[in-house]
Amino acid sequence: MKVNVKGHIRDLLAFRGLVPRRKKRIAKSSAEPVGLDPMNKLAQQLHPDSQHLVIAEIRDETKTTRTFKLVADPDFDARGLAYFRAGQVLSLKVEANSVRITRPYSISSAPFEALGVDGFYEITVRKEPDGFLTPYMWDHWKVGTKIRSSGPCGFFYYEPMRDASQIVGLAGGSGITPFRSLAREIVHGDLDAALLLLYGSSDEDDIVFYDEFKELEQKAPGRIQVVHVLSCAEVSLEGCEQGFITADTIRKYADVDNSSFFVCGPQAMYEFVEKELAKFDLPSRRIRREVCGEVKDITQSPGFPREVADQTFRLQVHIGGLTTEVPARATETVLVAMERANLAPPSQCRSGECGFCRSLLTHGEVYIRPESDGRRAADKRFGYIHPCSSYPTTDLEVTVPRDV
Amino acid sequence: MWGHVSLRGSGATKQSPPLLAIEDGRLLRYTRNDIIRSLPIDKTDSILYNVAQFVLFRSGHPKEETMAETTTQRHLNKAYDCVVIGAGNGGLSAAAQLAAKGARVLLLEQHSLPGGFATSFVRGRFEFEAALHAFCDIGSPTFKGAVRTFLEDELGIYLDWVEIPEAYRLILTDPGEDLDVTMPYGVHDFITAIEKAAPGSRESVTNYVNLCKEVLEAITYIGQSKGHPNRSVLTKQYANFLKTCPYTMDQVADALKIPERARKILHAQWTYLGPPTSRLNFTVYGAMFYLFLITSAYIPRQRSHEFALALDARIRELGGHVEYNTRVEKVLARNGRVVGVATSKGDQIETGHVISNASPTLVYNHLVSPKTEVPEIALRQCNARVNGVSSVVVYLGLDATLEELGLHEYSYFVYANMNTDEMYETCKTLDAPKIQAVLCLNNALPDCSPPGTSIVSITTLYRPEVWKNVAPQDYVRVKNKVASDLIAHFEQATGAPIREHIEEFEVATPQTFARYTGSYNGIIYGYEPEPWDSLMPRMMMMQDDKHLDGLEFCGGFGFRCHGYSSSVKSGQTIALITWRDMLALSEANVMEKGEVQQ
Repeated sequence: MKVNVKGHIRDLLAFRGLVPRRKKRIAKSSAEPVGLDPMNKLAQQLHPDSQHLVIAEIRDETKTTRTFKLVADPDFDARGLAYFRAGQVLSLKVEANSVRITRPYSISSAPFEALGVDGFYEITVRKEPDGFLTPYMWDHWKVGTKIRSSGPCGFFYYEPMRDASQIVGLAGGSGITPFRSLAREIVHGDLDAALLLLYGSSDEDDIVFYDEFKELEQKAPGRIQVVHVLSCAEVSLEGCEQGFITADTIRKYADVDNSSFFVCGPQAMYEFVEKELAKFDLPSRRIRREVCGEVKDITQSPGFPREVADQTFRLQVHIGGLTTEVPARATETVLVAMERANLAPPSQCRSGECGFCRSLLTHGEVYIRPESDGRRAADKRFGYIHPCSSYPTTDLEVTVPRDV
Repeated sequence: MWGHVSLRGSGATKQSPPLLAIEDGRLLRYTRNDIIRSLPIDKTDSILYNVAQFVLFRSGHPKEETMAETTTQRHLNKAYDCVVIGAGNGGLSAAAQLAAKGARVLLLEQHSLPGGFATSFVRGRFEFEAALHAFCDIGSPTFKGAVRTFLEDELGIYLDWVEIPEAYRLILTDPGEDLDVTMPYGVHDFITAIEKAAPGSRESVTNYVNLCKEVLEAITYIGQSKGHPNRSVLTKQYANFLKTCPYTMDQVADALKIPERARKILHAQWTYLGPPTSRLNFTVYGAMFYLFLITSAYIPRQRSHEFALALDARIRELGGHVEYNTRVEKVLARNGRVVGVATSKGDQIETGHVISNASPTLVYNHLVSPKTEVPEIALRQCNARVNGVSSVVVYLGLDATLEELGLHEYSYFVYANMNTDEMYETCKTLDAPKIQAVLCLNNALPDCSPPGTSIVSITTLYRPEVWKNVAPQDYVRVKNKVASDLIAHFEQATGAPIREHIEEFEVATPQTFARYTGSYNGIIYGYEPEPWDSLMPRMMMMQDDKHLDGLEFCGGFGFRCHGYSSSVKSGQTIALITWRDMLALSEANVMEKGEVQQ
């Protein structure tokens, strides 16, 4: 077979011309350097590795709940704050008691409020008396305190391509925060959706944003509706349900078959609400759950090897050019062990989901709660763990990436 | 004999005054009692030059100076034979090949994972394949392709490869188009199927396939000759290859008188390479097309991530070092030669060789330092070449099986029509996309998602420029509109009601690809292989394309053009070339020392 495109000789000449032609094209092109491209610029705006923030205002919401208003730190060349989706979190990178840790908090302000030169985020935090960070926040965080955070992250947001436009929020305690963001966004007109919120509190005094949600309900009647569910014995507030968020309560207010359920609250509430929602036999896609952070008492988790619960193991860590050995308790995550030793490992969601802390386990065994195992199939096979949801059950050796 | 000189660096802080010293021909930097870094001093250079350069290294990273001591100690402070920038398919392959040869290799990746585009991610109960449609040149265990040979025989990596069931189904959707055809692999089966779909095309298509065979054989021959093919062998045995090299797909199809309908089917995979058939070089398409026919296509059972992790693991087993979350910020050069790299984590790494999986456009414009080391010709070359396309991918986790949805093929090309110029123009707007390549993962990997569910991903191409005016607050709305249009087009083409079954939904855009890979403008392919800048001219000009000694490129922007298998093979070849250069260089050094002693 003989193929001619423009004729035998012309084709051969064209082949011989390839190199001179390429050289010529290169030589006559501009030598102007190119700058940062628009897509990498957009990526930096939407997903900065970290943000430098400063506390602009502090408000007490209840006797144990506080809102911190955060703005871009003018000392850094701030392009302003990264935009986000209602329901996303900031993972704060903070130093408390000389230890560098991360803590994810849902953004309680609305996305539109982050825009522009006066843009801000708010996070609303409940003080945990025995917690590591929150008492420190109450004591040390003042207006003007500088805070570093991740870019906005997390997957607990309303997605119109996937979810029903009638959202039923099931919130408990400080789990109200992503719904405040969502409600403000709906009222502002940026989201074409309606929110029915069933909000569980232990006491009337503990209800966060009571007045504000009343206002939001009035501004967008039919699109925002809040039902308070109080577990205390006596309820004086008008229109409240007493008890817990049961299937009956849900059915009383919600169009169960035509809604998407969004659940956010403390661990105990998830466990309760899961059982109630199961009664509806909804398709999986109709229920979205915010990840709940570290498990309170891992020894209660089915499958946890309780015989090692009292033990402290040796954890050898390779991070960058450093190799070091630190103690690791069986009841604390590998991430916490590294943070205690001030190794400042990378982390973000602290729930096993995002993979930001992903590390290579070269020696030893860990326990991972199946619900908190967000690893890829190949990661499991090749020995990778997410230290934020892995508990040592033997001595360990891990290789950890340095934080970004 | 060098004496002892000490001085304070300009980046000194109160907490840890950096102390510089010169001992035994190496420049050392102390923090308290620990030497944290040392650099060899070239005796032909002045001490001051070295010191100045050292201080310059430091001053580029003032923020690191204030970090806690434990953080400082984490710097990578060894010298390496070669630093590979980027753990994409090309970088992973290059690093693995060099490590297998025994070189001390450091692979640096800015993201927390290996793979680049070759990765996967988890949403809810689904693990999505990020990029791979069909891995070419794997072949069966008994008829190995080049990639399988490299992995198994050179590196000892055995993956769980799954053969994908059919080549593709092509559906054209414009009114008046009546093409809906499913094509098999295998030369005979393919020709038979195309004759059935486009009667009367058998002879010309057979010629086309034979020509593609010659192209592939010629490229293989050139590879085996290590870039020094015998001229008369080329002109005698591979004349058709030579003569079609300068032309586009359209020009060659015209020359072979391929009937219109058959041509649409033959050219269906143009979106795997990017430019329209009026600009896409025949050689790269022909070679890819024929490789698919004879070796079919495979995917790793645990997605691309399995492939990336296997290479990562093997590199470390072979003594290589892989470091994630570490962005190379500078490729340090002196007198036209690479001397090291500096990273976002404050590492200063001495090396004589850098293989970059990042594009020449990024490296010459942003990384080479000082800028005076960038030859003008390198910038001209970057500007002369045509940047490839980026894409939008919609990832869908569905709560219905593919069977229930009536989706029976693994790979769909759904195009409005096969006027590829017109189709390419639509990639320059945010109007409803007119081309898509769709992957129904469970049709190759039945167990890739939980029972009763399935994974479908829809890809379209974009000129990335069209996304540049999208403001952050409009971003979700814009990408969701594109996603919705893509889903609508696919539903129209197949009748599968997928929208009502969406359980997980994610969209990647040019921004997403830029974010995770750092790729210029989120380009998912490399420079467009137009005839003047396609495989052969790139290969013939490999020497001319070297603008700094010790700096080489691999991956999608490398000499083999883009695609998974091309990236792997370019990584392998570039590693071998670098290894050869290393040996030559060390031989030269030995000889030089010998002379000095005499």
